[in-house]
Amino acid sequence: MDTPTGSTSSTPAAEPDFAAFDLLVEALGRWAPSGPAWPPARRVKSEWEGVAPRLDKARLELSRVLVVGVVGGTGTGKSTLVNALAGSEVSTAGDVARPTTINPVVVAARDVDVSWLPLDVMQARLVRSDSPAVANIVLVDCPDPDTQATAGTPSAESSKPSAANRNRDLLEAVLPACDVLLLVSTAQKYRSWIVAREVATFAPGRPLLFVQTHASRDPDIRDDWRKELESQGFDVPRIFRIDGVEAAARMAAGLEPEPGFRDLVAAIDGELAGRAARRVRRTGALDLAAWFTRQARTDLAASGELVAALATGVNAERSRLEAILARSISETLRTNRSAWQRLIADDVVARWHGGPFASFLHVIAALGSLWSRVRPGTGVVGRLLAGQSVSGTARDGGWKAVEELGLPAGEVEQSRSVLAGLAARAGMQEPLVGRARLDDATASAATAALVDRAGAWLSAGIDRLVVERRARVGRTAFHWLFEVLFSTLLVTVLVRAGWNFFHGNLWEGKPVSGIGFLEEAIVWVILWGLLLRWLIFALVRLGLDRDIQGLVGSVASSRLVDPLLADFAVAAAAASTWIDEGTRLGVEADRLASGCGEMPGLGRLRRPGT
Amino acid sequence: MVSSGQSAAPSFAAWAGSVAELCDVVDRLTPVAASLGVADPSVAAWHGALYGKLRPQVSREPLLVAAVCGGTNTGKSLITNSLVGSGISRSTPEAARTLHPVASLARGVAARTDLAALFPGFRPVAWRSEADAVDVAAADVLVWREDSGGEQPERLVVLDTPDIDGTLRENWHRAELVRNAADVIVAVLTQQKYNDAAVRDFFAAAAAAGKTVIVVFNMVDWPRQRERIAGWLATFAAETGVAAAAVYAGPHDFDAAEAGRITLHPLPELTPGGVEVPLAERLATGDFDRIKRQAMAGAMRVVADPAQGLAGWLDAIDRAAAGWRDAQRLLEREGRVQVELPSPPREIVWDEVWTWLEPRRSAVDLVVSSGYRTIGWGVSWAAHRLGVGRTAAERKEDFAATELEALKRALADFIDRLDDACRRDDRLGRLLGPRLATADRKAWYADLERRHAALPLVSEDYRTFVRAELDRFAAANPGMVKAVLAGLTVGSVVRPVMTLALFSAGAAAVPAAAGVLHHVLDFGVTVAAPLAGEGAVAAASQGIRPLIERLFAGWSAERGRILAETLHNVVLGDGVEEIGRLASAGSRPELVRARHLLVECSRECG
Repeated sequence: MDTPTGSTSSTPAAEPDFAAFDLLVEALGRWAPSGPAWPPARRVKSEWEGVAPRLDKARLELSRVLVVGVVGGTGTGKSTLVNALAGSEVSTAGDVARPTTINPVVVAARDVDVSWLPLDVMQARLVRSDSPAVANIVLVDCPDPDTQATAGTPSAESSKPSAANRNRDLLEAVLPACDVLLLVSTAQKYRSWIVAREVATFAPGRPLLFVQTHASRDPDIRDDWRKELESQGFDVPRIFRIDGVEAAARMAAGLEPEPGFRDLVAAIDGELAGRAARRVRRTGALDLAAWFTRQARTDLAASGELVAALATGVNAERSRLEAILARSISETLRTNRSAWQRLIADDVVARWHGGPFASFLHVIAALGSLWSRVRPGTGVVGRLLAGQSVSGTARDGGWKAVEELGLPAGEVEQSRSVLAGLAARAGMQEPLVGRARLDDATASAATAALVDRAGAWLSAGIDRLVVERRARVGRTAFHWLFEVLFSTLLVTVLVRAGWNFFHGNLWEGKPVSGIGFLEEAIVWVILWGLLLRWLIFALVRLGLDRDIQGLVGSVASSRLVDPLLADFAVAAAAASTWIDEGTRLGVEADRLASGCGEMPGLGRLRRPGT
Repeated sequence: MVSSGQSAAPSFAAWAGSVAELCDVVDRLTPVAASLGVADPSVAAWHGALYGKLRPQVSREPLLVAAVCGGTNTGKSLITNSLVGSGISRSTPEAARTLHPVASLARGVAARTDLAALFPGFRPVAWRSEADAVDVAAADVLVWREDSGGEQPERLVVLDTPDIDGTLRENWHRAELVRNAADVIVAVLTQQKYNDAAVRDFFAAAAAAGKTVIVVFNMVDWPRQRERIAGWLATFAAETGVAAAAVYAGPHDFDAAEAGRITLHPLPELTPGGVEVPLAERLATGDFDRIKRQAMAGAMRVVADPAQGLAGWLDAIDRAAAGWRDAQRLLEREGRVQVELPSPPREIVWDEVWTWLEPRRSAVDLVVSSGYRTIGWGVSWAAHRLGVGRTAAERKEDFAATELEALKRALADFIDRLDDACRRDDRLGRLLGPRLATADRKAWYADLERRHAALPLVSEDYRTFVRAELDRFAAANPGMVKAVLAGLTVGSVVRPVMTLALFSAGAAAVPAAAGVLHHVLDFGVTVAAPLAGEGAVAAASQGIRPLIERLFAGWSAERGRILAETLHNVVLGDGVEEIGRLASAGSRPELVRARHLLVECSRECG
């Protein structure tokens, strides 16, 4: 819709912007059937299926003559008017019986090809005419809408003559083929409810001419009729007033037509024939497209709010579940101090080689790993902290693994139940969205996804924490400082032992103090080593709680619980995108419709009546 | 002009009582029918005949009501004015201008007649000018004026009515109300409209209700179209069943109409008897009693029609109630959830038993058992310090959290099931669907949490229940208290499983608890007997086992009650009672009474 159209909208008499219109129709054709499996979308789709062929026809059959349907209540003089326009009695008119016209009559000039008109569907009779008034149009004398029994009349009345009357059905079969409606009425019938209903059904996208007949007998009711039509949503530029009987008589006698009839013929010639026909067809189609999008937008407006409420609900429930998950994970991480310590210790120890202190740490770590074999980490977090993999645990565990993470199934089902309620309010049901309780297949897929995400997120977070902390103690100088500190005592002990042996025993002849001193010395060395080890870990542990808090705070950004609510989120997003696209196309249709040329003599249905 | 005397008025006295009672019964059934989803009876022909004709007229002074009816702009107002001899209703060239019926009465009638009762649905207002009929500001008024000339027969009421085919549907409705009350209809037809479906439907209803119909073909191209009229009338008669009591023709003369003049030519060739009487005179001199009786009998016929009449409506109520019974059964079958509560901390029941036992034990017993308890406490303290055990308080906290989870899952399951049931049954969908879709479900869970938080692990109700049970047991088995003592070692508790179901009759399924714990109206809480301290209890004699079962069952039932209350008070509201009420509507005495009265009325009508 990026075609520059600004210049056309500034000149009211200009032709409609054909290229933009074609693009609009194509876009609507893509949009209307592409909605989610959702009642409002289905309504739009079925509405579109009624509109699309007409829009296509308007594009493909641009150069064909216009089909003008003469419609109105029985006895208003439709057939008389058609006869007057055709210049001879092509359709039976009169007052003998109501209804007079049963099968529609199609009047066309001799050289006009009407093979494209579905005469069999319309159950119509074709009559050729040489009258100049129908030289450039095809005229259809339509059946009346008011004599067929109303729906719901009991079938027990089938013995009545009207039981066989199908005039309204016939009318509804004929009107789809018409491009323009010529609405005929009288003083008695211009406020007829049934005529108004039928016309309102077929008027969108069909420009109209309004004619009051029986001019010689009835008062002029055109002002009041105009008010009535305007209250039904029509633009009424003018209403013709004629007397069909007189006009037909004058035509037959070769006399000059009366002024009202002459105006009507001139309007048909000026507004509906030749180049004007293209404009009428285009404008009608554009009106129809605008009408369709307006109806769709009206229909979708309420749904849009409910979809937005669902999207808001998804966010709220996601936050709620994330908060529960975060609280629980944070709790578990905090209470697993020993596991943290071991994790970091193992890491530090693995990187320190050579030197007595490193060897000391290795020995301690070896002893510690024996304990962890006795009590392995439990739960997903425990296993992660114990350096074990969690992928795959969810597949067999399902909810169990998620509950181990700290998200109880009951909370998830609560959220899903709340969202199912919001979805139901927006008219969304299975299979578009799921139920509160996930079925087994979905549940295991969703929980596996959650556990995988949580595993990836947690292990990344833990790794980051470990790396940061290792950096605090990982420098070589730092290592050697501790090696020196540890070795100092060791060397002191060894020197002292050597001194005792070489100087005291050999030189001074004191008795060897025995193994007792060494035993004591070893205890001191171990204690000294443990003290140094504690120092390192204290340094490493410093601020751990705060960092865990920071890690847990990133739960929201890592979208852990998304898989559990994905169906609702996807449905809301899809519906909202679809509605937005419809709104955009509607604005475009309105812009094109308001920018296209006016048809000064033709009426249009602008909005639904009151 | 001649007027029939009061003495000749037909007596409907015997009939009046039955009709009045029938209306009362129908009034009582109408809200029931509406809630059952049966079509609104006020649009049915029988309803119009019963309320618009029989009830107002069966016990009142038998005025003869003549109404001028027809499509838009056919000259109804003009004809009415000519009938009553003055301009009471404005006649305009514009269509559908008469919005309110205008009645012309004989002098003094308004003072002694309750016009509001005679014309139900209208508010009678006194005539001020002929513009009253076209007043757009008024709603549902009936304008009346007493005849100033004193020519109008005492018992005759002549009305102008709004149109029956225009774009204002309220006009149709007002015309139908007037038609229902009328005895004589002056049908104003034109060659454009005599075969319109809306016109046919209107007069067919009048013919079916036994009204006397006088046909006026107006706007005729006189005399050119005179011979056409026979054909038009034949079509009209065949379509509507109207047997015209007389036929007139009004010529199409716009200038005369503008001046308020109209000439109606009698058509003796189409009138039974072939007499030529002007329309006004025919109305004034008719056999009022015969016409009246005929119209009343016709109305009764409409009401008594086996398919389209009142009986058909009663049948529809029966059918709808049967449908609701099916819906109720579906809900009972589907609305059933199993709650698996976590194993309760075992102290909860035992502590209560201990408390009860305390004053009944010997000193030695007390010392021994307090020794055991101290040791037990020490062991669990140590276990807790080592990180392998939980304290009693922690266990209770864990239990409360897990239990709330279980209840939440059950609630979600229950809502799913209700959704399913609503989808499978339209009636349930209509009744509960909006509730399920529009309610704030967060509030349901909040309510469940609130109730759960408010219920202590051991409530006063439950304490009372346990003491009563133990007292009863001790009284029945004096020697077994010792055995109880022996049996009360630490026992394991099996997971309690409860089924919550919607029961129409409110059947309670926890006999032990029924006496003490309240039962939520329509919810049965059934507990699959949880077993406590099985080994220990089995060692004791048979008598203890049911006791222990009951103690635990009572406790579980109290837990389940939280969910039942949330379901009942917050989720379903009065929905379940409503369904029960609807399902039992078929057995209401009013239905039988209505059928009986209908037969009686038909008989009294003769």
